[in-house]
Amino acid sequence: MTKKKNLRLNSVSLGTEVVIHIIMAAFSLCCIIPFVFVIIIAFSSEESIRAIGYSFTPLSWSTDAFSYAFDKLPQIWRSYFNSIFITVVGTVTSTLMCALYAYVLYRPDFKYRKFFNFFSFFTMIFGGGLVPTYVVCTQVLGLRENYAALIVPLLVNPFNIIIMRAFFKSSVPLELIEAATIDGSGEYHTLFRIVAPIAKPGVATVALLNALAFWNEWYLSLLYIKRNKVLQPLQALLMELQNNVQYLNQMAGQLGAAAINEAAKMPSQSLRMVLVVLIVVPIACAYPFFQRYIVAGLAVGSIKG
Amino acid sequence: MKKLLAMLLACMMLVSLLGVSAFASETELEPVTLSIWFHGSTVTPDASEKVMEEVNAYLQEKINVTLEPIWGTWGNFDEATVQALAGGDKVDIYFTSNWSANEYNKYARDGYWVKLDDMLEEYAPHLVELIPQGIWDCAVTNGYDGMGVYGVPALKDTATQICWDVNGTLLASLDYDVDAVCEAGLDYYSDEFEEMLQAAKDAKGGDFYPLLIEPAVLERMITHTSLVTGDLNGANVLSYYYDPEHPSKDIGSTIVNKFGTEEFAKFAARTYELAQKGFISPSCQSPATANDYRTATQSSGEYLFSTQSYAFGCELDYAKARGIDVRMVPETAAYMDCTSGQGAMMAISATSPNPERALMFLDLLNSDPKLMTMLNYGLEGYTYTTNDDGTITFIDEARAQYSPWTNGMGNIRILPPTDAQGADFYERFSAYYDAAETLPFGGFIFDATDVETEGAALANVWAEYAFNLMSGAVDPETVLPEFLQKMEEAGINEFVSAAQTQLDAYLAG
Repeated sequence: MTKKKNLRLNSVSLGTEVVIHIIMAAFSLCCIIPFVFVIIIAFSSEESIRAIGYSFTPLSWSTDAFSYAFDKLPQIWRSYFNSIFITVVGTVTSTLMCALYAYVLYRPDFKYRKFFNFFSFFTMIFGGGLVPTYVVCTQVLGLRENYAALIVPLLVNPFNIIIMRAFFKSSVPLELIEAATIDGSGEYHTLFRIVAPIAKPGVATVALLNALAFWNEWYLSLLYIKRNKVLQPLQALLMELQNNVQYLNQMAGQLGAAAINEAAKMPSQSLRMVLVVLIVVPIACAYPFFQRYIVAGLAVGSIKG
Repeated sequence: MKKLLAMLLACMMLVSLLGVSAFASETELEPVTLSIWFHGSTVTPDASEKVMEEVNAYLQEKINVTLEPIWGTWGNFDEATVQALAGGDKVDIYFTSNWSANEYNKYARDGYWVKLDDMLEEYAPHLVELIPQGIWDCAVTNGYDGMGVYGVPALKDTATQICWDVNGTLLASLDYDVDAVCEAGLDYYSDEFEEMLQAAKDAKGGDFYPLLIEPAVLERMITHTSLVTGDLNGANVLSYYYDPEHPSKDIGSTIVNKFGTEEFAKFAARTYELAQKGFISPSCQSPATANDYRTATQSSGEYLFSTQSYAFGCELDYAKARGIDVRMVPETAAYMDCTSGQGAMMAISATSPNPERALMFLDLLNSDPKLMTMLNYGLEGYTYTTNDDGTITFIDEARAQYSPWTNGMGNIRILPPTDAQGADFYERFSAYYDAAETLPFGGFIFDATDVETEGAALANVWAEYAFNLMSGAVDPETVLPEFLQKMEEAGINEFVSAAQTQLDAYLAG
């Protein structure tokens, strides 16, 4: 009996393959299970949560929390809109700014390249500090109680600029720009018609990072949206509910009786999980669209090294 | 591209234009807009808009003020106000207290609050009258502009009384006469106390822990000591002993090291003994789980004895929430100290352009039942209805949308009672709190700035030992001497004597 030779490249033995698959499957489960769990809790009845706590197999199911959220809390819808609005506007503008900034840093013929490189890089090491940033934002830039306060502070991210510049460097040869110039292409034409299509994977990566940052942002709302709470994004709403419950627990000693009365006002556990579901679904849906470019981007980087 | 930017800009301008616009009025006072930052609110934007429309119509007529509330929530108040204060935001009035992050005494010292002494007579005559002197004394602190009042204390549950929280339903099921037991009071050191715990444990099984404790609260209750305002934050090392039956009686007025007394040693030994017998849950003995465990266990009624810082009428609320018969058994008489006196205050920010008007507003808020009711409970027909006997009944759905923290706002005695409280609630309420005696050290506030180094070292030592000792997790026989030794090295003697020197000066002057 002749042993059949395995011709596949980089193949591993069956045993190793099984082990690797098990590890990968376990890892995937670790990522998926919490999310499934949250969905189950959102659909669990409040009695079940009170009786046996969080469980994969609740005593009874209910959609009360969902109908309560949709019917009784108009703010949830407004917050949902806010989150989407901020994410879309923020992602488009910040990605554009990042790409433009990175592009000039990538062009060796830009005279002040070193200065602007340092200018953005410096902020990665030294921040202004929370209070000065707050003062500049609220008193100089007027970033309070408006959408701009939730978008502008996140517009320029030096780390993304560095990623973007690396993408330009590795995927767009300088000769191409020279050739375009010789063929009579203007600067804007070169950037948007020649460089941009090549750098698509990089743009997609940065856009995804930005979208995540805007979608998950809640701290800016805590700082800058106080009076006009209709502008609160969904994450801030959830964070506030979560913090309220935690704070009342902690302060039970100082607040005494008040803490217990106040805790009774807090929304039910399943309602909080409904918010989590609302938050996770859209961004989870956005991943597959970006994924294609990100994988492509990684591959581009590795070949050109 | 340009279009996009223009649109963005237009959006921003539109949004900022949508802010509250002030209406002109015919009174001689200049129209002003005042912003006030509340704590612990559960208020949706829609409900706020609806209520504020009426509140502002009323306020404009009265003092020509447009009120712009900032509904701080339990979760965001601390972080957001600290930022706003540091950043010099133009907010006129802040909620403050001795337990929130914008701590009254500290922020008064650092110059964030306006000193009110010279303004009170002129702009807040009602306040001066309606708030008892004992509570004003508590508001006096050593601030940026010298000793004085830097905030208006709320006339709410202003006394401290720590009680045993007894699960009457469970006690009755163990064949005890609940009324008789509660009447006689509970003695932590007695055999009967232990027998009751044992009976409950036998009846409910090995996993049941009948004694649900909050270690620091239990310690204060059993040893009859009061907090010293200005002590380490959250890690108290100072004790002030008072007479359990007549708290105002002078029994020496000394501040001592909380852990160095015989009473504490006795308390720690007893707690350890009870813990060893399985009456205290291990979850109560770890700071990480203690709070969550206590809240959950209390609300499910799975305890026999617990501790509770009492607020008048709270046993009714608890009985309703927990579905059991809740009894409060006092261990000491109710007393007034600065911990309760500074429990909720309103301070006028140093950045306020109109401090006088802000004070006038506070004066009106605390003395005008109509305004207080509107701001606190909402509008009649929207969040509540009035009954024939003068009580009100909440309309739950709307009340859930508009529910500020009642006690955090000010004088709650001018509110109408709810149907659950009963028509004569505030008479009983006032009688209870007015009867509370003031501790002999009155409005003393310790300023620990000179012993900050010792304080920091003590906080570290405290974190290592104190919780374990107070919750009965470790044997005090071996651990207490070790703890005291470390505290001495950390400078407890300097810390205590600094407090005592200040107290002596306070009592003398």
